[in-house]
Amino acid sequence: MRNTFSAQQDLTRRDTLKTGLLGMGAAGALGLPPFFGRAANAMVKYSGNHNDNRILVVLELSGGNDGLNTLVPYGDDAYYQQRPTIGIKPEAVRKIDDHFGFNPGLVGFERLYKDGKMAVVHGCGYENPSFSHFTSMAYWHTAAPNSGAEYGWLGRLADAVKPGGASNYIVNIDATQSLAVRSRDHVPVVFDAPDKFAREGFHSQQPLFQHVAGANGVTNPSRDYLLNIAQSALDASALVRQAWTDYHSPVDYGIAPIDLPKIAALIHANMPTRLYYTTFRNNAFDTHVHQSNLHQRLLTYAADAVAGFMADLERIGRADDVIVLLFSEFGRRVPENTSLGTDHGAAGLMFMVGKPVKGGHYGQIPSLTELDAGDNLIYTTDFRRVYATAIDGWLGYQDTHSLLDGDFKPFDMFA
Amino acid sequence: MLFHMLLAGLVALLLPLSPAADAAERIHLGPGPVDWQGDLSPIASSEWSYDRAAHLLERAGFSGTPEEIERLAAMTPEQAVRRLVHYESIDNGHLPPFDESGVHDPGLVPFPPSRPATTQLAKENGEALGVKVKASGNRRLQPVVNKFFYWLRASMLETRRVSYWWANRMLNTNRPLEEKMALFWHGHFATSEAKVRDYRKMLLQNETFRRHATGNFRDLVVAVAQDPAMLYFLDAGVNVKGAPNENFAREIMELFTMGVGNYTEKDIREAARAFTGWNSDDLTFVVNGAQHDDGTKRFLGNQGGFDGVEVIDLIMAQAVTAEFMTAKLYGYLVRQEFSPALNGKLAAILRDNNYEMKPLLQTVFLSRDFYSPASMGTHIKSPTELVVSTYKKLGVDDVPGIPDFNMVVTALGQELFWPPTVAGWAHGRSWITPGLLLERGNFARAVLFPDIDFIPRDRYQASLMLREVHARIKQGLDITSATLPGYGNGGMMMAESNMMADRDEDFNTRFGSYRGWQMAIERVKPLPRHTARLNLSAMVMEAGLRNTGEVVDYFLDRLMRTPLGKTERNLLVTFLDGELGTSDITVAETYLEAPLRALVHLIMSQPEYQLG
Repeated sequence: MRNTFSAQQDLTRRDTLKTGLLGMGAAGALGLPPFFGRAANAMVKYSGNHNDNRILVVLELSGGNDGLNTLVPYGDDAYYQQRPTIGIKPEAVRKIDDHFGFNPGLVGFERLYKDGKMAVVHGCGYENPSFSHFTSMAYWHTAAPNSGAEYGWLGRLADAVKPGGASNYIVNIDATQSLAVRSRDHVPVVFDAPDKFAREGFHSQQPLFQHVAGANGVTNPSRDYLLNIAQSALDASALVRQAWTDYHSPVDYGIAPIDLPKIAALIHANMPTRLYYTTFRNNAFDTHVHQSNLHQRLLTYAADAVAGFMADLERIGRADDVIVLLFSEFGRRVPENTSLGTDHGAAGLMFMVGKPVKGGHYGQIPSLTELDAGDNLIYTTDFRRVYATAIDGWLGYQDTHSLLDGDFKPFDMFA
Repeated sequence: MLFHMLLAGLVALLLPLSPAADAAERIHLGPGPVDWQGDLSPIASSEWSYDRAAHLLERAGFSGTPEEIERLAAMTPEQAVRRLVHYESIDNGHLPPFDESGVHDPGLVPFPPSRPATTQLAKENGEALGVKVKASGNRRLQPVVNKFFYWLRASMLETRRVSYWWANRMLNTNRPLEEKMALFWHGHFATSEAKVRDYRKMLLQNETFRRHATGNFRDLVVAVAQDPAMLYFLDAGVNVKGAPNENFAREIMELFTMGVGNYTEKDIREAARAFTGWNSDDLTFVVNGAQHDDGTKRFLGNQGGFDGVEVIDLIMAQAVTAEFMTAKLYGYLVRQEFSPALNGKLAAILRDNNYEMKPLLQTVFLSRDFYSPASMGTHIKSPTELVVSTYKKLGVDDVPGIPDFNMVVTALGQELFWPPTVAGWAHGRSWITPGLLLERGNFARAVLFPDIDFIPRDRYQASLMLREVHARIKQGLDITSATLPGYGNGGMMMAESNMMADRDEDFNTRFGSYRGWQMAIERVKPLPRHTARLNLSAMVMEAGLRNTGEVVDYFLDRLMRTPLGKTERNLLVTFLDGELGTSDITVAETYLEAPLRALVHLIMSQPEYQLG
């Protein structure tokens, strides 16, 4: 039996190992934008509510989620004028007040909202929006619209909070690493299937796979780095697979649980991870055609998974420590198209979900009659304000100005 | 120490050059003394060695076979570097041009920016993409929409074939630095097929990178700025007099030449004006005089009626431009950490040579700094470098179809022709994640022990939705029912679809997507699907190796540029002993191959294998 050590022992050992080995932030002088230099050199500033148990989970809804048919402004006639066919009728929506109601598929969100665990942020977007999935998503990943930042916003956050890097600080569950977690100092633990986060090879090769050379006395810094990654991969992969094996939840996450049960398993196993990133994949929310049934189903999957995750966190006693941030790279055009769908738009909704969240509406509701030249909602909330809310308000790191390269006032969103 | 090095160099020069030269006889003269770091003076002929020649091939190319390394090691260091840098006279005629599938036709020019723009055009003109609107009946725009999706799919598949063609060039070129630098420029002037959507433009740009690979940087910037791929990628088409679009003007300064912080927003706006009217007529650069703003601009402290080329020349006149470029280039070719003082010297070389790159490259590759401990064996290979060098070291001369090259580099984080953003790929340590490190080892296994359940994604439709549409169309369902999302997912959906007769509509996008795939798969030539043809046993027998220790040392020497620890080396010998049931190679001669492949897989799974 391999790897019988407990998670906690393992982490202590690796944290010790890491200290002093990865302390080299050499990016500064070498032509990297000064912005990164500032973030790297900033003192780690925590507000009073800093708490090392706090975890941020980011769930990306890729493809451009149609905000207007997610939280329907059924009290606004303009909505029905713009969407005569695919507009969701007042009697069908799950009303949360006299203006808004959730898509009929969002049973889970309706419950979370009514329990006061869901913040809805309206009109999220940025100046000069891109209508390309690729480009706009990169802007959201880097929190640097109309620019070409090298690292992701969560990667920079990790670099700022834990300069030099720390084991398993960021987990990104996906086939490839998201730009959002790309970091200078940190090694995001990126894997897809926990049971396949492993070396493939013959039985007779396994003992050699379990052996990683010690980095003591190694002078080649790249070799040192790789040996540490190899050790981390060996440890993390065993930990992840063990966490997944040990995780048995009675909670129903629905038909498409996204990767949230994997995250619950890791939280349950006390991984030291504070930033989790995962995706509703394959541009699923890109609903150009016949969107009503499809969109409703996608939303049901997402809501089931998020609601299931919240229930699971309660079950394992970590509901006070975790929030989930949901976003999409853009909303969709206000008028429906001729294919019973909607095309790429601009401003959209963001959600913050969790027991510590003060539920309700945040941000100014965008007008459905004063649109931009392309019939899109004009954004009212720079999405980086919501990032700042998570960074400062939740994780307690105050220098959001350096991290996000601008002043983005956090919302007062946490109890 | 010095005496030892001189002696070693002398012995290296006298070594026999036969390919079968025993690894044990080779003089392993590795990194020079620590104080070589930061020293750009050239190394002496006596300081040349097999290991240093191997290092040169790693960085100025995609590594080498022992035979290729021997050839360079037999020259003086200056000759070796000259051969790599001044490659124009070296024949590359054995490399075939890209083998076009012939998927393009004139009707596709100009290709509208989106499906809605295409259908709008068809409604207005009665045709689009060379296809007329159907004379009457339902879905009159369907053939146009099919053609739209056909081209998206065909261009994507053809771009993957271009990627294969390029990978084979990297593997087989006689001018490795040319391809190595083309790869650098691809990441520097990062342009993605995701937006360009025209493999012809991506291929043209790739050829531009190759033509100017080690030439004049200023000429390269002008050529890239006038290439249709970049013109399209950074929105030249909408950068017109009176309504300038700043996309290209911003990126040329921020990412391509100067770096952020060395110009103002006003400079960007003024530069955008200078580039107004630049566009491409399909594959040809044009300046539309009516859309060009020839008014006075104030740019980087200068004033005049500048056009785009003049703006580029003003950028080249900035001291920071050479510094930005040498820092980036040095990070790519040598190492990512070095002093501003060293970079200042490199930038001076580039500037003093009027942005000609060969003098800089020649100096770098010959320098003591390049052979210092800080440089040798410290480079973390990019996915492309890893994959190409793996095939080269294994003696494979045709990039295998299983595993699929594009799927491998994508899984490892470097999908060629689809860089993640206009900033290109972050290099160095960001290539490695724990999952990706394991994935790199799994790639080696997929080469040595190929999958027997491989699904070729250029033939197989990965989208479940489209496979369902295909099945329903075959069953004779009407297009509306066949393309309803979720059809068959439950009674409710069935009932609803049954209530719906075939809908009246201009076109059906889902069907168009499906039909587009079908047409693209038919017309794009298939990728070859052979596995790597390896014969590791022959390598062992030809080298005359007698025992498992010699075999392990042979492969470590052939595959690794950074030595393993003694413990790890001995573990490999013990492993091979166990697999062969003996340490005597002559006894095991008839059943060597699989154990050798398992051994090589283990070597390639070592962290040190990622270094070059």
